[in-house]
Amino acid sequence: MGGVHPDDKKISRNCKLEALPLPPMVYISVSQHIGAPAKPIVAVGDKVKVGQPIAEPGGFVSAYIHSSVSGTVKSIAPGLDMQGNKQTYIGIQVEGDEWEENIDRSDTLVTDIPDDGKAMLEKVRLAGCVGLGGATFPAHVKFSLAPGKKCECLIINGCECEPYLTSDFRTLLEKGEQVVIGAAIEKQILGVDKCVFGIEDNKPEAIAHIAEVIEKLRKLSPKYEGISVMPLMKKYPEGGEKQLIDAVMHRQVKSGGLPIDVGAVVSNVCTALSVYEAVQKNKPVIDNSVTVTGDCLGEDNQHNFVVRVGTPLSFIIDHAGGVPQTASKAIAGGPMMGRPISNLDAPTVKGTGAILFLTREQTARRPQGNCIRCGRCASACPMGLEPFLLYRLGTHDMLDELEKNAVQDCIGCGCCLYSCPANIPLLDVINQAKAAVMGVMKARRAATKAAQTK
Amino acid sequence: MNKLLVSPSPHIHADVSTKSLMRDVVIALAPAAIVSIVFYGWHELLVLAVSVLSCLLFEYLITRFMMKKPSTIGDFSAAVTGLLLGLNLPSTIPWWIVVIGALVAIGVAKMSFGGLGQNVFNPALVGRVFLLVSYPSAMTKWVMPQGLFGVDAVSGATPLGAIKEGLLAGQTVPQIMDANGYDYAQMLFANIGGTAGEVSAIALLLGFIYLLVRRVVKPYITLSIWGTVALVSLIFWLASPERFTDPAFNLLTGGMILGSCFMATDYVTSPMSVKGGIIFGIGIGFITLMIRYFGSYPEGMSFAILIMNAVVPLLNMWFHQKKYGRA
Repeated sequence: MGGVHPDDKKISRNCKLEALPLPPMVYISVSQHIGAPAKPIVAVGDKVKVGQPIAEPGGFVSAYIHSSVSGTVKSIAPGLDMQGNKQTYIGIQVEGDEWEENIDRSDTLVTDIPDDGKAMLEKVRLAGCVGLGGATFPAHVKFSLAPGKKCECLIINGCECEPYLTSDFRTLLEKGEQVVIGAAIEKQILGVDKCVFGIEDNKPEAIAHIAEVIEKLRKLSPKYEGISVMPLMKKYPEGGEKQLIDAVMHRQVKSGGLPIDVGAVVSNVCTALSVYEAVQKNKPVIDNSVTVTGDCLGEDNQHNFVVRVGTPLSFIIDHAGGVPQTASKAIAGGPMMGRPISNLDAPTVKGTGAILFLTREQTARRPQGNCIRCGRCASACPMGLEPFLLYRLGTHDMLDELEKNAVQDCIGCGCCLYSCPANIPLLDVINQAKAAVMGVMKARRAATKAAQTK
Repeated sequence: MNKLLVSPSPHIHADVSTKSLMRDVVIALAPAAIVSIVFYGWHELLVLAVSVLSCLLFEYLITRFMMKKPSTIGDFSAAVTGLLLGLNLPSTIPWWIVVIGALVAIGVAKMSFGGLGQNVFNPALVGRVFLLVSYPSAMTKWVMPQGLFGVDAVSGATPLGAIKEGLLAGQTVPQIMDANGYDYAQMLFANIGGTAGEVSAIALLLGFIYLLVRRVVKPYITLSIWGTVALVSLIFWLASPERFTDPAFNLLTGGMILGSCFMATDYVTSPMSVKGGIIFGIGIGFITLMIRYFGSYPEGMSFAILIMNAVVPLLNMWFHQKKYGRA
């Protein structure tokens, strides 16, 4: 259903993962996940080590945050994030690189998976694992299934369907063993027999490599049984959670429902890696891979850096040759759903997967024309919505009609605007309309609840 | 350092624009236009040129001086209307009638509704039908194709016209076909009397295949028209081959190819959903045959498309594509 086929532009596909040098200062946000911000548990002047918790969960849906460097806490103060919004940051001055003792920093592969799922889940929680596919939903919450829910299939999302991005691809190639073990751990925690790696067929090396790794590990332990690779068609947004579940399991999540309602749990490749590191190596989430790419960035300046959380973007960009002269837009993420960066001094967060530079020619919006009713937006919509209709309803604030036409199901993938020949700002209007409709729905739910409790 | 642009996603755009789509339609119509000029000579060239130029001129004048907006002729849509209108007229038509047709097409059918994308009816067809009812004799004066430099214009009837007249005169369909020496290979490649756009099925189909390959249009509306015409005419023909023409004849004559490939698939005036499109096609096919078999006009494609154009808003209201995760 739907989808578009932009040129995949994986120009950084041959750039190996490389550790970025430590910056002089890191600024670690207490709000790197969906849910309540974490509460700082260090004070200005404290000495911290790499991997030491510096903020604790601020609620059930929240996550631990750890120091990614060793040094002195210099500030706990508001600062601006990539979009220019205020967040609380813990500023740490880097002094040396001293790690917590219990973290296993060796390269030795730990293939023995413990039996106790509960203990592993607790380790995942303490390590501050969040979904690294984009939503940064706390992993332990996702893996704690509500009573009565049963997972039938764990899907590891290795689609990386956004053009330009290659960090998941490199991780699959270079840390395939760790990712598969991480997947097996998630499988064990969820108590599910089946685990499928969904990888788009524009990454044949990754598909072959993971298949090989699974074969190898299966000989070691029965805990690796039931893991398989499924090559998927290259299509954006095949890696969208709902689209991936449909592609792998041929089931569709009902509007407003969760993947677990159809027996699915989806986890990103990098999340699986962080779960491996948390459980087998006691290493919390202190770094992540960041693709630095763009056509204007020159062949030699394409990189896949492993970056400590809280590293200022400008520090990363300087290591990739600085902002290219011709760049007119910097994007955190891919060109379809990434968010524009207005503040290059902002630090990275756990979910930062890429910094992409585009030129004015590539990214400037063209003048808007009349809708010619070609229906391209509707055929492109992976949710089967009718963006042309939602746009018209949205410009007239017709909230009831918008809800009837399922504006709340929009996943914001941008296929409609991408494919519109008249350059109508479909997604912009739909996003506003969706926010309005979601507000109405929330208020209605609250009212119903209040009426019931009376 | 340059200032960075900050605007919401998506940050890239497909290599497609209204202009590129309309240009593709012009390219797709080129083979038919060339073939018709080869067959009908400079008269046809004049009709096409006057039609395209006056459509462009009227759109320019109306946008600039009546709507007081920037001109929209650069998007090629007026050129498409002009080409389609020209291909729908006989080569013998006086040039000033073509100008009137263009004025009705662009001025009445398109711009008075608000311009591109707003019109309910296919502008070229409105122009053609207006001329058909206003200047019936000029619009039905056909000549047989006589080549680029041919002089002796032989006036002839279109196959559908011949059938209609013959039936009224009490002849049977096979008799009329024999008398006129129609054969299907000839219809496929050209050389039958009719409007320029009707003369060569092959040239039109070639253009349509180009549109399909370039993904400018989807085939379902066209296939639904052909399927309906084939099936319904087969039933009538089997019931009475003396009285009713056969499926192949109906598919190859009277602007069926031009209408089903280029007019019914017009984005603006066709339904948005696949289901709606299929019903739209069935409607066109059925109404066309009813007019041909039982109406007083020999050919029904134009009227059928216009009638179904009027139903499009309803089809859009009734039929939607299937949404993810919803019944």
